Amino acid sequence: MSQTNSLNVDYNYSVVRLFALTTVFWGIIGMAVGVLIAAQLYWPALNFETPWLTYSRLRPLHTNAVIFAFGTSALFATSYYIVQRTCQVRLFAEKLAMFTFWGWQAVIVAAVITLPMGLTSSKEYAELEWPIDILITLVWVSYAIVFFGTLVKRKTSHIYVANWFLGGFILTVAALHIVNSMAVPVSAFKSYSIYAGAVDAMVQWWYGHNAVGFLLTAGFLGMMYYFVPKQAGRPVYSYRLSIVHFWALIALYIWAGPHHLHYTALPDWTQSLGMVMSVVLFVPSWGGMINGIMTLSGAWHKLKTDPILRFLIVSLSFYGMSTFEGPMMAIKSVNALSHYTDWTIGHVHSGALGWVAMISIGAIYHLIPVLYNQGRMYSISLINTHFWLHTIGVVLYIVAMWISGITQGMMWRAVNTDGTLTYSFVQSLEASMPFYLMRFIGGVFVVAGMLLMAYNVYKTVRAKDESLQPVPAAA
Amino acid sequence: MPMEYATIHSIFTVILFVAFVAFVIWAYSKKRKADFDNAANLVFDDEQKAQQKTKQESDHE
Repeated sequence: MSQTNSLNVDYNYSVVRLFALTTVFWGIIGMAVGVLIAAQLYWPALNFETPWLTYSRLRPLHTNAVIFAFGTSALFATSYYIVQRTCQVRLFAEKLAMFTFWGWQAVIVAAVITLPMGLTSSKEYAELEWPIDILITLVWVSYAIVFFGTLVKRKTSHIYVANWFLGGFILTVAALHIVNSMAVPVSAFKSYSIYAGAVDAMVQWWYGHNAVGFLLTAGFLGMMYYFVPKQAGRPVYSYRLSIVHFWALIALYIWAGPHHLHYTALPDWTQSLGMVMSVVLFVPSWGGMINGIMTLSGAWHKLKTDPILRFLIVSLSFYGMSTFEGPMMAIKSVNALSHYTDWTIGHVHSGALGWVAMISIGAIYHLIPVLYNQGRMYSISLINTHFWLHTIGVVLYIVAMWISGITQGMMWRAVNTDGTLTYSFVQSLEASMPFYLMRFIGGVFVVAGMLLMAYNVYKTVRAKDESLQPVPAAA
Repeated sequence: MPMEYATIHSIFTVILFVAFVAFVIWAYSKKRKADFDNAANLVFDDEQKAQQKTKQESDHE
């Protein structure tokens, strides 16, 4: 197993190619909708007095599109690729794998239609109504069969750590989705949760935070453990740390949900438990980040010449930043200031645009040439331009939301000597306006970068086989 | 008298903690080092073309 021989495995790339291309497509759509709703907050007339273009209906469309269309397509593409390459076998149940592609696209199209119509279960990140939930379940179970089936027929004796993270993500998301989507249908497009009151809220945020922990973290860490070593040309810094990282992370994440419900009807002890678990979660999160970044130790010069590696490594820096910020915001006294303000939106986007999007973009830039028999992407300098557009966009976005969020928190809690509120809500909204413009500009930068990526991918896919030669490594 | 929930939970917490420590000791034992170095290099064993890569040690030691 440890010998490097020539492999004659005929990997199944067709389903990987489809998911890789749709990642770019849905990325542009999802982020463009984000820019539109950011613009609506600054120029409210942009809803054109049309119900299906209102912020309230497009916002869930934006979150569903970036998390489930863009992010999850990237996870499908990379997990099918990684599991084949590290197990050295062709994909198990290939027709079922193709079903996961078309099934998942059907889910996304259904979301694009129903959410603007106002059909929603009203559960954040789980808005889709029950018929779509059933389709998601079918696709997800098929996904698990393909992934674990491939693991079972592997040619290697060891299951590489990336597959542990991906497997953990697939199993947990199945459990989260099924438990949180339990509902009583009253018509074809309306259902009510089977849980009531504070229990419903707790189930929702057990789901919600673990969608962050397992889909947006564990899944993308699986991506990280394959593509960072591969792109850097060095094995992961510490394999032992990666194993401890995996078990510690999954054991802790599952408890962090209650921090979304501080100072609510949720019992106090549950809130405190969620807070403590969230704070402890800092340790495995940073263990993983350090493991990824230190993989480059001794090869830092590669960052200068390789913008793909830069995407991957900077994504880890944003991951480290968000996983420091998150535990801090989960502390009740900090949460008293930050909750319900734009600070939360900034935190989510440093994770989503900084960590999730950047690692996915880096992985896709690595994948496309391999999938289409090329030595490299069509243009390395366009990748470099994309990197800077994206980085500037994310920084503008996060900084705008930090300032706006803390301003809101301070204004909302300010009281006069007689106990009345110092500011009205509208006054705090006026204070936020310049930062809404700044956030919009940041979003435009990010979408512009994604459009460059689409052009670069198109030129690479259309180029003649093996016509793009790899750049010789600079010493 | 049935055991109190708090007692059961305390025992469970101690068991989990001991299991975690044992697990870390297992992961970091000297005996596992060679196996893990091989495992870390799995990402380079997947090339379809014959390509001899020199093996590299994990932990960068």
